[in-house]
Amino acid sequence: MRRLRVGIASFAHVHASGYASLLRDRTDVELVTTDPDAATAPTDELRGASLARQLGVRLLPSYEAMFAEGLDAVLVCTENSRHREIVEQAAAAGVHVLCEKPLATRLDDAEAMLRACAQANVILMVAYPVRFHPGYRAMREAMQRGDLGRVLAITGTNNGQAPLASRRWFLDPELAGGGALMDHTVHLADLLDDLLNASPQQVYAQVNRVVHAEEVSVETGGLIVMTYADGTISTIDCSWSAPASYPSWGGLTLTVEGDRGSSRLDAFAENIEVFDDRTGGLRWDAVGVNLDALMLDEFLMCVRSGRAAQPDGAVGYRTLQVVLAAYESASSGQPVPIEGTKT
Amino acid sequence: MLVHSDEGAKVAASQYGARKVADLSELLRECDVVDVCTPTYTHHKIVLAAAAAGRHVICEKPLSHLRHEAVEMIEACAAAGVQLHPGHVVRYFPEYTAAKAAVDAGRIGAPAVLRFTRRGARPQRSWFAESAKSGGILIDQMIHDFDFARWVAGDVVQVYASVVGSAPGPTIGIAVLTHNSGALTHLVGGWGQAKEDFRTSFSIAGAHGLLRHSSAEAQSLSWSIPGAGPTCGELIPFGPLGSSPFVAELAEFLASCAGGPTPRVTAADSLAALEIAIAATRSAATGLPVRLEDGVA
Repeated sequence: MRRLRVGIASFAHVHASGYASLLRDRTDVELVTTDPDAATAPTDELRGASLARQLGVRLLPSYEAMFAEGLDAVLVCTENSRHREIVEQAAAAGVHVLCEKPLATRLDDAEAMLRACAQANVILMVAYPVRFHPGYRAMREAMQRGDLGRVLAITGTNNGQAPLASRRWFLDPELAGGGALMDHTVHLADLLDDLLNASPQQVYAQVNRVVHAEEVSVETGGLIVMTYADGTISTIDCSWSAPASYPSWGGLTLTVEGDRGSSRLDAFAENIEVFDDRTGGLRWDAVGVNLDALMLDEFLMCVRSGRAAQPDGAVGYRTLQVVLAAYESASSGQPVPIEGTKT
Repeated sequence: MLVHSDEGAKVAASQYGARKVADLSELLRECDVVDVCTPTYTHHKIVLAAAAAGRHVICEKPLSHLRHEAVEMIEACAAAGVQLHPGHVVRYFPEYTAAKAAVDAGRIGAPAVLRFTRRGARPQRSWFAESAKSGGILIDQMIHDFDFARWVAGDVVQVYASVVGSAPGPTIGIAVLTHNSGALTHLVGGWGQAKEDFRTSFSIAGAHGLLRHSSAEAQSLSWSIPGAGPTCGELIPFGPLGSSPFVAELAEFLASCAGGPTPRVTAADSLAALEIAIAATRSAATGLPVRLEDGVA
């Protein structure tokens, strides 16, 4: 089997080094990386040549040099607002794309990315790894079989620590597109889109900045309520509310309430507790499956076979619609309708 | 894959794409490795036949409920030049593997006090309840945690144990191990009511840290559907979703049979765990602590 040439465009995103490790260790992939904006990052953040050396991966000086390698696929791990330019370059080069979430910070950027990839006939997949969680899949199957009856409400939480310690561009509205609401809404918005097979008709949101009020300018707390045409209600807690002493980065939960029963996913519950007095207390060490590995499996399988990949750019667009409607609602204090429906 | 079984062979063969063979001798003639999944009291005869046929053996735990049989099985396989792999699958559950790795990496310091629990529905097949065939709960079920405790905290020098309750209610085994290192281990095993969910837990306290896990809490997916909903199978706990400790175990054993590295658990480990379990059984019968050096045959 021919090895796929896969590029990682930028180490800006926290997930880039995890993807690099997984791809480096695959025998069916030849990995190249580039991180040309490394110099713009704070000097104490491990980026560029230093990170490439630590990971043991090949680093090229520019995006142009990387695309000149004749890539099959690229993982776009730039800052959120810089996704568009790289995705457009990839499409122009006929390279399949796995793009970090959120797809973009503006709908016109997202639209342009969808158009470019459709015209070039390349895959545009969005990095929503929780879709590949075996527990999520079992929950979705049970729901579709009718085990839970008619779904009345779905509540989700994606809480984590604020990105204060590394990758501080997440706190920059220009680069990140906002704070916790932009960062932590889309995973759950994607799962809700997949479970309910519908976009919400209306979005209500409130945000605050109680946690880390002195240190950041963006919202750190946020609650979103969505209503659907059939009366179903869903909510998302997107807050960066996990304290610094929390035993892990955070987590994601999803509870489905049906008229026959309920089911709860705690996506990162599969861990052991490690208390270590030398390092200051409790850590949760994950023992479950690696969701990023499962997502990369699916992406690379689609790249090889030419099969359409899910979650695709279209759901990336719809989840961004939810986020932007939530910002509008938080600003006005009123529910905001969502334009267009899931097709 | 070939299957021979006194019952259920046809179903197993069609379900897993295997070929049903007429008897044990045909099975041993045609296979490279035999996986012995029969009741405990039949292991000895079958493993000796496999060794005589020159076949590598994977054998369910315990190797036997009788020490002299286990010793004879190990010696017969060694003499025949075939491998004998005991199915102590707990060492392959990711949460247990992670705990062992954390201890070995020095994250909690020297193990001090270890606690293990393991309980689920009482096994439905009748031979489990007959101590002369299964060895009872200490030897059949708690041997999993005896083996794991020894893997983490080292050899055991003294055991104190008791067993309370009987069918149709729960049977509970309780044991306290004293390790040569000075570490202490507390274990509870339970054969509970029908349909009781299988669950396990551990906590391993060390000189400067603590490891904890509870399968009931560390589950990513839970259900509340009155009168329905998936539950754990008899004797088979759920590990983390999407991975199978049984597949990991078999892969390591088969790689070893093909000339690969020695698996993380050996027949000698299984014998040592059996000796702890037999000492526990004797303690439960006498009400007195049992020293391992005292001999447990």
